Amino acid sequence: MKNSKILLLILIVMFVFLIGPFIVIIISSFSSQTVMRFPPEGFSLRWYDKVLNIEMFRTTFWMSLKTGLAATFTALVLGVPVAYTNVKYRYPGKNALELFFSSPAIVPGLVVGFALLRFFIYVSGIPILLGLYLGHTAILFPYTVRVVSASLRNFDAGIEEAAVSLGSSPLHAFFAVVLPNIQSGLIAAFILAFITSFNNVPVSLFLTGPGVATLPIQMLVYMEYYFDPTISALSSIIIVITVIIVQSAEKVLGISKYM
Amino acid sequence: MNQLYLKRTLVLLLGPGFVFLIIFFFSPLVFVFLESFKGPAGGITFSRYLEVLTNKQFQHVFVRTLKMALIITPIAVVLGYPSAYLMTKLAPGKKSILMSLVILPLMTSPVARTYAWIVILGKYGIINKTLTSVGILKEPARLMYTEGAIVVGLLQLFLPLMVLTLVSAMENVSEEIEEAALSLGSGRIGSFFRVIVPLSFDGLIMGVTLVFTGCITAYVTPAILGGAKVLTLSTLMRQEALVLMNWEAATVIAVIMIITTLILYNGLRFFKPGNLA
Amino acid sequence: MSFIQLTNIDAGYVRGKPVLKNFHLNVEQGELVSLLGPSGCGKTTTLRTIAGFIMAEKGKVVIGGKDYTGVPPNKRNIGLVFQNYALFPHLSVYENVAYGLKRRKVPKELIPGKIKDVLNLVSLIGYENRLPAQLSGGQRQRVALARSIVIEPDLLLLDEPLSNLDAKLRDEMRAELSRLQHQLGITMIYVTHDQIEALSLSSRIIVMNEGTIEQMGTPQDIYERPETPFVARFIGFDNHLKGKMIRNSEEGIRVAVGDTEILSTRKSGRSSELQIGDAVEVFFRPDDTEILDKKLPNTVEAHIDYANYQGNTTQYSLSVEGTAIRAIVAGRQVPYNAEKVWISIPADKLIIEEDRGH
Repeated sequence: MKNSKILLLILIVMFVFLIGPFIVIIISSFSSQTVMRFPPEGFSLRWYDKVLNIEMFRTTFWMSLKTGLAATFTALVLGVPVAYTNVKYRYPGKNALELFFSSPAIVPGLVVGFALLRFFIYVSGIPILLGLYLGHTAILFPYTVRVVSASLRNFDAGIEEAAVSLGSSPLHAFFAVVLPNIQSGLIAAFILAFITSFNNVPVSLFLTGPGVATLPIQMLVYMEYYFDPTISALSSIIIVITVIIVQSAEKVLGISKYM
Repeated sequence: MNQLYLKRTLVLLLGPGFVFLIIFFFSPLVFVFLESFKGPAGGITFSRYLEVLTNKQFQHVFVRTLKMALIITPIAVVLGYPSAYLMTKLAPGKKSILMSLVILPLMTSPVARTYAWIVILGKYGIINKTLTSVGILKEPARLMYTEGAIVVGLLQLFLPLMVLTLVSAMENVSEEIEEAALSLGSGRIGSFFRVIVPLSFDGLIMGVTLVFTGCITAYVTPAILGGAKVLTLSTLMRQEALVLMNWEAATVIAVIMIITTLILYNGLRFFKPGNLA
Repeated sequence: MSFIQLTNIDAGYVRGKPVLKNFHLNVEQGELVSLLGPSGCGKTTTLRTIAGFIMAEKGKVVIGGKDYTGVPPNKRNIGLVFQNYALFPHLSVYENVAYGLKRRKVPKELIPGKIKDVLNLVSLIGYENRLPAQLSGGQRQRVALARSIVIEPDLLLLDEPLSNLDAKLRDEMRAELSRLQHQLGITMIYVTHDQIEALSLSSRIIVMNEGTIEQMGTPQDIYERPETPFVARFIGFDNHLKGKMIRNSEEGIRVAVGDTEILSTRKSGRSSELQIGDAVEVFFRPDDTEILDKKLPNTVEAHIDYANYQGNTTQYSLSVEGTAIRAIVAGRQVPYNAEKVWISIPADKLIIEEDRGH
């Protein structure tokens, strides 16, 4: 019994360490003062008011949202057939190809962004925004493949064959029978990929420029110049939204098993 | 399945993703890689690598980056293993709540997550305020922009990764196997080390690989908590590229980062039990 | 001409080697044929080749006079029933059954009537709006049956359809399948590894082993007159003794087992080809084996390793010159401690086959 108490203690310490900072930041965001102090003195919502009124945050938020949705959607369209092939077919060279498709998750994001910048913007003259979208799509690709593969593995291949034996073409069977039954996997893939894109800094770092910036990059820029609780307020908003998404996704989809 | 039909299906299904990654992912990497060897008047040169590798600052940063990974990974194992073990023993409801808390640091914006540490470690942050008010410190100590700050920040990010990997590895160890070990006379601790640890060893290697390579390539945490004072490989690369406009040095560092991660990734995989036999 | 003809088929490659090699099969219209064999024997590959999920690399598939070689599965009019039912989890019973009709562009106004008829046939009226998850195992299997017969297929393929059901339900469903087959007169091919299922359902049984047909025949043929050592073993001739051919005459075949002579009055197809002096195996069932306490004609000396009393029967484990023999006898014939006994096998219950070194 003594042993399990020590284990429990380690578990509690770990959770205080993991979650404590989030609570600290939320408390600090209600400060009424200009300098970051903790515990904060006074209570106000002035920093929330300020966040909503800084235009750069608003425009970069939309930029992040649009980039995230577009990249996630593209990565899913490209990734679902790859996942389907991974689960359904055996063919020579399969291991090498699976490694190939997962490589964007192994190469450091900073290097991906840097290489894309050098390659496209300097060599081919592709607009920076397109580079941002392509870079995000590339790094989301392995996520969608992995999550969709996991949910396809739980899908009985016989169901698809039943549809084909009843007269569906393979393509029709996929849309009529396979897709509706891996819905939760698709949603999990969408959530994970979108959040990954929305939060990404390393890839975006090199693929932003005049008029093109994502919210996290804009926050980093702001932090270089100002040291007031504005970022606390913005971070709190982001944390609360993330908590809501993560909690419901875990409850409904068990998203942690896909990570 | 007819071979020809299979081939056509594979091309149709894998083709788009394959082409996408070749054009928008591999070509840029290969381009950057080749460029780093291109001499000013054509031909192959290693001078950029020599220049970077012999640079005192680079050497210092490289060693520091490895050192921090070497500090963080064992801490993540020591804290992660017992926590993961305990979590697999919990009732499904409790476990689900804890799992969603574990993944929170991984899912939250890294900027928001790291910013919290400024509030804690800053000059007027919790720690300094507490220590000065109790009288242990007269002056606020400098906690920000230190290696320690980066270690703490990275640990918060990668500990969950370790726990997740271990939990899924341990879930495959059935309760019966553990009970069998207990019934055969192993104590709790004995059965943990003799049964659970060997059976989740694959997960451990996976976790160590993810955490170690993650530490070496992480950007946001060292950027905020280390700033320009305590550089790591990734913040150094960013500084060379975007502040000093030294693209050549940045390219070389990028290549070194890839090579380091690939070596670690494949090197650590060697320790899978199957490979040791 | 047979209704189904598989000619010269090579199919189902595993690591470069075909599971079926130069395979032939003929099935007549209205038959219920079972493919019986252990896992890996090629029975499922045969089924999938007929269904079109495996395209034969070589050979010809003809069903109902039409050449189906190379025709994809969705263009063949074949019903398929799977071991785990493979119902569409997101569709109701009604929609599951309607799926094939819609795919076949059956006029909308005809669909409800057809579905009602088929659900009536499988006694599932009233379950139209249930999802598969809300049904019991037996009900799911009925839906799977209804779904595949409502399209009026040329042929119904069943892949171990009863193996996920418990014993009682299995008996019920077996009777029901039999009834449906007689009522609809539909040609069925039934894959199973369960000999009782095959014996009770089929008009013909095909025993398969390692991609080839070992024996084809009526249930009685297979059960009473296995033609190969493999079939004999598979169908319950669990006991086998090694011997040597002595004489082949009008009276039967005489074989020497150790220093005793044994007579078999049964003639299987291949036993007449045996030559004097050939190494042979003698096969017999545990429940045809009697235990005696004295030597009589057609007995072999044995000794009892142990006896296992099971109420109406007793199971004996014996050994004959180092070979393990099982006997199931009614009641208890000999005392437990009788070390030396004789086992007797009626001359008409013995099968002699050439010893191929199994």
